[in-house]
Amino acid sequence: MAYDIQTWIKVAAFTGAGLAMGLGAIGAAVGEGYTAAQANAAISRNTKATGEIFKSMLVGQAIAESASIFALVIAMILLFSNFTATSYVTVAAVFAAGLAMGFGAVGSGVGSGFPAGAACTGMARQPAMGGRLTTNMLIGSAVCQTPSIFALVTAFILLFSDFSMRPVSPTWAALLGAGFASGLGAIGSGIGGGVVAQNSCEGIARQPSAVTPVTNIMLLGQAVTQTPAILGLLVSFILIFKSFEPTNSLAPSMALLASGLCIGIGAIGPGIGEGIASSGGVKWVARNEAHVGDITRLMLVGMAVAESTAIYSLVIALVLVFVV
Amino acid sequence: MDELGKVYQLIVPCFGHNMTFNLDAIAMTWIVFGVLIVFGFFATRNKSLLPGPVQVLGELFVSQLYGLTEDALDKEKAEKYAPLVCALFMFLLMSNWIGMIPHMHEPTKDLNTPLSLGLMGFVIAHYAGIKSKGFKAYVKEYFEPIFFMMPLNVIGELAKIVSISFRLFGNIMGGSIIILVVSYLTFSVLLPPFLNAFFVIFVGAIQAFVFTMLTVVYISVQVK
Repeated sequence: MAYDIQTWIKVAAFTGAGLAMGLGAIGAAVGEGYTAAQANAAISRNTKATGEIFKSMLVGQAIAESASIFALVIAMILLFSNFTATSYVTVAAVFAAGLAMGFGAVGSGVGSGFPAGAACTGMARQPAMGGRLTTNMLIGSAVCQTPSIFALVTAFILLFSDFSMRPVSPTWAALLGAGFASGLGAIGSGIGGGVVAQNSCEGIARQPSAVTPVTNIMLLGQAVTQTPAILGLLVSFILIFKSFEPTNSLAPSMALLASGLCIGIGAIGPGIGEGIASSGGVKWVARNEAHVGDITRLMLVGMAVAESTAIYSLVIALVLVFVV
Repeated sequence: MDELGKVYQLIVPCFGHNMTFNLDAIAMTWIVFGVLIVFGFFATRNKSLLPGPVQVLGELFVSQLYGLTEDALDKEKAEKYAPLVCALFMFLLMSNWIGMIPHMHEPTKDLNTPLSLGLMGFVIAHYAGIKSKGFKAYVKEYFEPIFFMMPLNVIGELAKIVSISFRLFGNIMGGSIIILVVSYLTFSVLLPPFLNAFFVIFVGAIQAFVFTMLTVVYISVQVK
């Protein structure tokens, strides 16, 4: 049975939408569950602060959900747009967009649940700091969303660029690889950024006078934790915008797909690892405010070392794109 | 929806190469410059011990960012680099916020702007590093811990430029795409103001701060 191209594009759009929303629902749900559990514990510990904690839980969960909402937007666009395709490349692009957004929403959803939970616990411990804790949680959770925003940018570029002029043979693999690179690459950084923000909320509750350095170091740590996701985004941009020679062999296509998978999977570990490294820095700045400079420098060096495995993946991915 | 990804370009042929100018980004950058110069003029016009509202705002920017630079570098170097840091932050903040006004585009939405600013920070950081440590000690750092780690250390340094500029670009670009698409899906009813408040004001301010902070930290890592 041979289907025409319109059928294939519908197939790609439907499966892409299913994957985007299905995978995209994983992370936020886990994060929100964690927040609710922490809020419960916090209320049992300090029943007077129930109203504040309840409010903070709801706000935190609403932010944690935004990654899933991005996935919902992509799924809706995939379901209700009329894609007119003249080339099989578009089929790959549509499917890859769903894939990128689905995987990309996992990490940020899980991650932004952590600071919300820690903020609830902190409010039970230190009710007077409620306002500053909420602000810090909002900033931390918003920065946690960045990896999923990168995945969203890739998904939109895949959906709305015109690839019909490109040769089908290597380009389909390049676009799928781009989806994997920025989708999988966002997982680690999303979770890692959440761990950093969680420790900063905890630190503020423990030592309210250290709020300014803790928030600053948190932002710094989260920003550096996003580097693996950004490397994934870089590889996916290279895969999307570089024009490849048409070929009949399968090998170059597989090299491009493997390059996306390499940086995507390779970025998961460094993202989480850098988050853990930076969470230590944030935690100890709160306990030892006098030595912010030394702690920050050690934290950054440690993160740079944890990042080196992401850079190995980047090197291999670039070799796969440009040399093989 | 048709606006998505459209870039107005002026292409000038020049000795066999095509020079491309992204007109939107250039115009918006100059508007931001203009706003900042007017702000600076009004903040310093009638300086007095009892400051007016514009002067207070200016003093707030300068004192906060000066303190931040002093924390990361020492007092002597902070005096040298703080003006750069203040200017960078105010430029980025204004650039990120200008997208709130209809028909205005953030210059930071164009990858060229963050990339050139990131490159600027990189060059300044390494210049500062060579100046404070001496060229020999600077080069030696690349061969640590073992000599064959050199290429990876160099790539690691270059990845910093990529990460600092793509972070800003991705956030601003992502925010503006989300606002555009949701406005289109909801026929611009109800939701866009909230999205503007979150993605433009909140995320824009955070990303401007993160970019500035990272530039300072890159300098401080090189210097120490």
